[in-house]
Amino acid sequence: MLQCKDVTDETSNFIEGDLPLSKRIALFLHLVLCRCCRNYVQQFRQTINTVAVTQPQEMDTTDRQALARKLHAMCDKTNHGDS
Amino acid sequence: MIKNLIDGDTFAFEHVVAEYHNLMLSVARAIVGDSIADEVVQEAWIAAIKALPKFEGRSSLKTWLVQIVSNGAKSRVRRENRYSSLDDGWQAVPSDKFDHTGHRIDNVAQWETATPEALLSNTQLQKVIEQAFLSLPAMQRATMTMVDMEGYKVDEVCNILDISSSNARVLLHRARVTVHDAIERYQDN
Repeated sequence: MLQCKDVTDETSNFIEGDLPLSKRIALFLHLVLCRCCRNYVQQFRQTINTVAVTQPQEMDTTDRQALARKLHAMCDKTNHGDS
Repeated sequence: MIKNLIDGDTFAFEHVVAEYHNLMLSVARAIVGDSIADEVVQEAWIAAIKALPKFEGRSSLKTWLVQIVSNGAKSRVRRENRYSSLDDGWQAVPSDKFDHTGHRIDNVAQWETATPEALLSNTQLQKVIEQAFLSLPAMQRATMTMVDMEGYKVDEVCNILDISSSNARVLLHRARVTVHDAIERYQDN
């Protein structure tokens, strides 16, 4: 019988469908009996969804407009056989 | 989009940089570390622009750019004999949520305010998630970015970052646990 700690450790694999069948069934049975773990798996799904929505970004100081201009200028040169 | 780039459409360059720079930076940081990642990404952009006329469209532009930055970063690692640990700077938070038999001793309740709809109006929670994300080691950030934000499969992440499938799964899970725990603390306050 799986313990709550096992469920916590395997939540990602469970959600991704990456568990072998026997473990998947054991985890499913645990979820039927344990409200806390059911809520935890639900919270974990919400976490994944919220990351997809909020799209946190890398810390970055690059001036992206300037980079785009630089690449554009380079492309112009390449197109005109100037490089 | 490729044709627009080759034709020199200014908007296309701005769009492509805005769309893919963050992902490329994330991949580079995971492979070579923070200190030279910017340089590696700049080199990757330049290599991509030079190779643009030869781009055959067998993969998406995103896949192609990520492949260029990944290859550039890996060759930099080989050339400079660099080594970056999978979980640089990461420490597991000791869990006080289970008893000695592995049973939960805390009460896990349902969340009310972490739905995507609620998030759109909750800037404080967005900040909590951003801070948790930025606190992750580069490998975890890159894995989470690729799988949870960009829709990559774990196997694709393994090829891009040159890590095993089990490592990728562990990194992804740890990243999610950290963000989950940050949201949980916010919910509890």
